[in-house]
Amino acid sequence: MAPKPKTTVPDYKNIPHSHRLPTTHREVQRTFSKLSRQSLLSLALQWLAKKNRDFCHPYLLGDRDADEEEEDELYTPAQSYEELQEIYKELAARKGGKREVQDRILEGDWRTGVSMFQLATAEIQYLLDHPSSLRWTAKRLARIPNPKSASLDMEVTNDSEHLPRFQAQTFMANLARELTPLMKAHYLLIRIKTMPMTVLRVYIHDSPYSTETSLAVDSANPDSARSVFFIWPNGSPFVYSSIANHFGQVISDDGRHLRDIVQQAIPKAFSRPSARYQLASTNFTTKSLDALLAYRGPGKSNAASGGWSIFQDHSFSQNALDFITSQRGDGHGKHGSTKDTTGSAVKAGPGRPKRTLDEKETSETKRRREVAAGRFGSSAQPNDGQGLERVEVRIDDPFPSVLNATEQADGDTSNISEQSANRNRRGRPSLLDRSLDEIEELEGGDAWVPDVRVVFQGSHVFAGVRQLVEQGVFNGEKMPGWMTGEAGVTIGAVKEGRIRTKSVQIPGV
Amino acid sequence: MTTAEELDGDINDLHDRITTLKAHRANLASILLSQPHLPMRLEQRPVSNERNRRNAIKLVQKQSKRNLENIHRACASVTAYKVKDPDPYAVDDGNVLGVRIEVSIEGKFVETYHVLFNRPNAVHKTILKIHKHTIPPCIPLQPLAHRWLSTAKKSAEEPTEQDLIKFGRHLRKELVSWHLRLDALEKMRREAKLDEQSAPRERSNAEPSVGTVLNAFVSDDEESEEEDRPDEPDGLLKITSIEADAAVREVTVTWSSGRVGVFKVTKDGEVDKAVVRERDGSRSDSVGRRAIGRIAGLVNRLSQ
Repeated sequence: MAPKPKTTVPDYKNIPHSHRLPTTHREVQRTFSKLSRQSLLSLALQWLAKKNRDFCHPYLLGDRDADEEEEDELYTPAQSYEELQEIYKELAARKGGKREVQDRILEGDWRTGVSMFQLATAEIQYLLDHPSSLRWTAKRLARIPNPKSASLDMEVTNDSEHLPRFQAQTFMANLARELTPLMKAHYLLIRIKTMPMTVLRVYIHDSPYSTETSLAVDSANPDSARSVFFIWPNGSPFVYSSIANHFGQVISDDGRHLRDIVQQAIPKAFSRPSARYQLASTNFTTKSLDALLAYRGPGKSNAASGGWSIFQDHSFSQNALDFITSQRGDGHGKHGSTKDTTGSAVKAGPGRPKRTLDEKETSETKRRREVAAGRFGSSAQPNDGQGLERVEVRIDDPFPSVLNATEQADGDTSNISEQSANRNRRGRPSLLDRSLDEIEELEGGDAWVPDVRVVFQGSHVFAGVRQLVEQGVFNGEKMPGWMTGEAGVTIGAVKEGRIRTKSVQIPGV
Repeated sequence: MTTAEELDGDINDLHDRITTLKAHRANLASILLSQPHLPMRLEQRPVSNERNRRNAIKLVQKQSKRNLENIHRACASVTAYKVKDPDPYAVDDGNVLGVRIEVSIEGKFVETYHVLFNRPNAVHKTILKIHKHTIPPCIPLQPLAHRWLSTAKKSAEEPTEQDLIKFGRHLRKELVSWHLRLDALEKMRREAKLDEQSAPRERSNAEPSVGTVLNAFVSDDEESEEEDRPDEPDGLLKITSIEADAAVREVTVTWSSGRVGVFKVTKDGEVDKAVVRERDGSRSDSVGRRAIGRIAGLVNRLSQ
């Protein structure tokens, strides 16, 4: 390690990967206690790999000062990297507790401190182990239309680009240039092998200094989240952002503010001369990374969710050279029968209902199941891992029966004041609150439009709706399309049975 | 133990056999049902069971319908169909026009894409709007729609011209060229003997990592220069990885010496810009110049 400078002056540097945090630091303790034994071992081996050694210097025998006592150590320092690698490989080969590994890492081999690189990789490992541990908001990088060359932006030629180009080095340099005057931060950008995406973790260090000593000091607010995650799914214009809060930790306004600063810098870092970008909301928030990749991902499923999913898997049209008609029928039969068995199993499980009743209802339940299959296609299966846990809509249809015009006006105003009071209480305005334009539009019309909001919550909202349709609670044929999830948003306003598209849509590609 | 395992193995073999035989039967059935004179014979010859005959005719009709549809799709490759939106609140009573684009590469239909249109404009009934689609985001669907589909808003101004045929043709071109680039990338990997099936697995066994750290350059330690594996003794350079973005518009090639080349590819598969840098950051122009040309021969040209 380089000798620490005696004086600390504010500077304009990033925090390098190799800066270390003491092992007793709260962030370190929190992150490491969450990880499983297997993940810890794989991380340790990863840190000991040749290319990462610069950033993850362990405590080796050679680092020991001559006058240091040997007896009071629990773990004797290893001679070399190779020896350490062997130790961890051995640990990986046999079974044991997780504590053993955690202690070995924090009190043994990295007793002098855990580097920023290690902390960042550990947090990303946790994120991949638990893909629904954070709440993500999907945004879209939209090109700001150039008034001079509006037509040029939309041109499709042999070498035109319609997506922002992601160059790791340029992007990082631009981002650091935007952010370093405002805060110090540690960045780690990783392209994930198992999922088609790139993760950026920004560890925000709210201090004018970028030295190790300043890092070790815990901030005054112990509960503020320090790191922010951004994910770019490969080959798509979307960005997912999230604040890495630990379980039960409240995201303070400070944390949100810092995330917003980073978020604002991202489109600027993507922009280049004659191609400026901005982040546009896509009305989509969820905890499940799989759902994000399905609804706002790089594949075919973005604009064909809900019942339209039959168009993305090959159930609507077979391969053009597939001439076999009989087998398809077989497959369908099998599919139906498996579904039948699961259905009956569910039914037989809880209350043990009368057999005879069941027999009578079969044609009706079968019809309902077919209706559900028609509305939902192959989507909204309870175990597909693409569950949305919260869907919120505002119904913007006028109240059905119109009675008295004056009363309506009164109702409307009282409603608005109530709403604003509500807003004050909750502190943060909901995305669904009507904008001034929308209120004006409503006042222009003569129908009374109450502010009605419907929230669906659960582990997998649309699978739940599908089950309710299959059980006859919802009428599958009269149900509006947004209840099948085909609108692909988790928050929106409904008018005439359809999710409203925003009147001021951000143009762009 | 062994007997149980043996029995399991036998059962699995039998299952495999059953599936192959079933597939064979289905194949034979469709061949039989496609016989040209079959429906006529079924009509004319006397049969003992009238119901069986009606069933048979139904099957034959189903098969011939499928044959017709498949031939049409295979030959036209952009086909249209009509579907009904099940949503009771859908615009235009749920009438939806679907356009289906088949992508075929090397004698196989690899993928089918759909674009579904509705008619939201009550005044101009002919104006189509993209309702749903299964086009991946790396294909410029929006610009194409902007160019070839009418953009008339609800205001009563006259709609601009709309050309669905041209839209379909351009979209198909984009999709096919994308698949061809993907295919070319696979071939490059095979040429460079980067077996993408086995190599990453071996590597992941050697050093478990969740991914590639892209900003490791932030530290400029001297050590990193020396540490990597030593160059091949005979001075032969090997390509260690070939990577590309989702649209295969930018291909990155890494050599064992630490040399990195970035190649820009146009949509029709021409390498039109190339930058090759040695490990020490110096630019190697000669390799870069050699890279210009078709993507198909890139590995060949680079290893000259």
